[in-house]
Amino acid sequence: MKVIELKNLSKIYNPDTIPVRAINDVTLSVEEGEFTAIVGPSGCGKTTLLNMIGGLDISSEGSVDIGGVSINEMSESELTTFRLQHIGFVFQAYNLIPVLTAKENIEFIMVLQNRDAKTMQERSDDLLDRMGIKDQRDRRPSELSGGQQQRVAVARALASRPKFVLADEPTANLDSGSTEALLDTMAKLNKEEKITFIFSTHDQRVIDRAKRIIKLVDGEIVSDEPR
Amino acid sequence: MILSLAWKNIWRSKRRSFVVMSAVAIGVWSIIFMVSFYNSMIGAISRNSLQHDYSHIQIHHESYLSEPGLGFQVKKPSMLMKFPSQISDIEAVSARLIVNGMVASPKTNLGIQVYAIDPADERAVTALSGFLTAGDYFTNIKRNPILLSQKLAEKLKVKVRSKVVITVQDLEANIRAGAFRVSGIFHSKSPRINNGVIYVRHEDLSKLINLPDTAFNEFAYLLKDNESLIETKQMMEAKTNNLVRTYREIAPEFDMIEESSTISKQVITVIVMLALLFGIINTMLMAVLERTKEIGMLRAIGMFKSKIFFMIVLETFMISWVAAPMGLMAGFLTNLYFEKNGGLDLSQYAGALEQYGGDAIFYPVIAQSTYFFLMLAVMMTALIGAIYPAIKAVNLKPLEAIRKL
Repeated sequence: MKVIELKNLSKIYNPDTIPVRAINDVTLSVEEGEFTAIVGPSGCGKTTLLNMIGGLDISSEGSVDIGGVSINEMSESELTTFRLQHIGFVFQAYNLIPVLTAKENIEFIMVLQNRDAKTMQERSDDLLDRMGIKDQRDRRPSELSGGQQQRVAVARALASRPKFVLADEPTANLDSGSTEALLDTMAKLNKEEKITFIFSTHDQRVIDRAKRIIKLVDGEIVSDEPR
Repeated sequence: MILSLAWKNIWRSKRRSFVVMSAVAIGVWSIIFMVSFYNSMIGAISRNSLQHDYSHIQIHHESYLSEPGLGFQVKKPSMLMKFPSQISDIEAVSARLIVNGMVASPKTNLGIQVYAIDPADERAVTALSGFLTAGDYFTNIKRNPILLSQKLAEKLKVKVRSKVVITVQDLEANIRAGAFRVSGIFHSKSPRINNGVIYVRHEDLSKLINLPDTAFNEFAYLLKDNESLIETKQMMEAKTNNLVRTYREIAPEFDMIEESSTISKQVITVIVMLALLFGIINTMLMAVLERTKEIGMLRAIGMFKSKIFFMIVLETFMISWVAAPMGLMAGFLTNLYFEKNGGLDLSQYAGALEQYGGDAIFYPVIAQSTYFFLMLAVMMTALIGAIYPAIKAVNLKPLEAIRKL
């Protein structure tokens, strides 16, 4: 089942002055349960592509279908709802809310979804357990290591039960140990629960664990290989 | 959780929150202090004029105002004297015969108004006996005693038991003069009384100008409280065809003073609230600026603009909810302190204050509704102050905000 389908997707910055084609005529689809890495040198358009898939950026040309629904024509409010219900985000800098504990950070997205307290409690406990950070539940981000913070961020992304998780350079700020531990956790979730992960990365450790590698150069797909 | 998040957000920058909370608390406190101060001052001026000079209601002959003097005496004075027993809201009455004249001492003479009164009745209405600074209340001099103010005594260079001569015109415009002796010297809170009124017994003046002891041209009534003023006036009007006026009609400056006081209080409140408004806007803008990236993240993961707006407004409200009661409490305690410790003593400005009929010691006066109103005003200010930063927050583009360093 196709989770993401991009057709002739392009992103052109400064179209009226000096046009810069960040993404050029990209067509691809992602099936449910994939563990995909979008790779390429800095400035090749990885993050831009991820942002368009996540509905954070609007394409100049082409279409983005998520679970069979086109997001191109959605209003800002519809996109917000769509992101909340269907997409999980993991950011390079974790972007946790500093005044909330690990558990509260995970539950926050479910508050936005208006889930009941019991569901939130069960889901956050489960995710904390699976991420291996149960004993850090009442700690604030500043009291956690980078790896632990990123696990909280992944747990938060999963808390809303999204169709897929977009992770923009998730290991860029992590040491080797934390990177391996995080990748192990995500790979396990992917294998056991068929959760779809799409990374943008140029971290070889991530690339080595990916099941599909899409290589971008100058905004164009130059290779798309399963492993 | 948004409530909890908003509360926790306030304490991210403790120093900044403390500063803005202090500003709100001090602002509220200063308004309470100023309003109490104004109320006390205006209250004293009104009370002093009311108790020492005009009384609540006065009755004159209907033509007296166009030609003040002996020509237009009140009609049916005996009936007017009975009003306190007929109208329950009347506390006391004093019948007066007022005539312009001259008072002469061996040193100088002055133009004055002579108030011929019944000492017991006048004491009940104006508490005149309580203002004596020297001498006695008409009792130490048997023949033609007179009371005059300290100010007039100094001008005339007389003291208790000194002799003065009062010259007035009788009904036929004949000049009549009589020798009086100073029985007491008083210091009233009314500048008008201090500057030019002397009191004699009605029987002495009526004898001097050859009028019957039922001749009066003014009746002054003290009411039990101010609330029944209009109602009592209407009841009096129904019973007499003399001119009945309340102190507000006699001295329209009361309304002017009260209105200007109200405007002053409003202006002060608005100025303080404006200062708070800009303080709140500045603080919340800083808070939004500092959390640009986080707000971008919240928008990215699916937090609606309305919830972000609500969160910022809630944070502002919470700051005010904490600070305003602190200011109210500080104001309340300050007032309580002055109430329990003899008031705020401004004796060094007593001269200036007396010119306006005020007291040198201020006892804070504030209506309980003012506390409620101030709380409401702070909440409104907080709401207005929150709008601009909240709009800035919701207008952040998630992508651009996340990229901010």
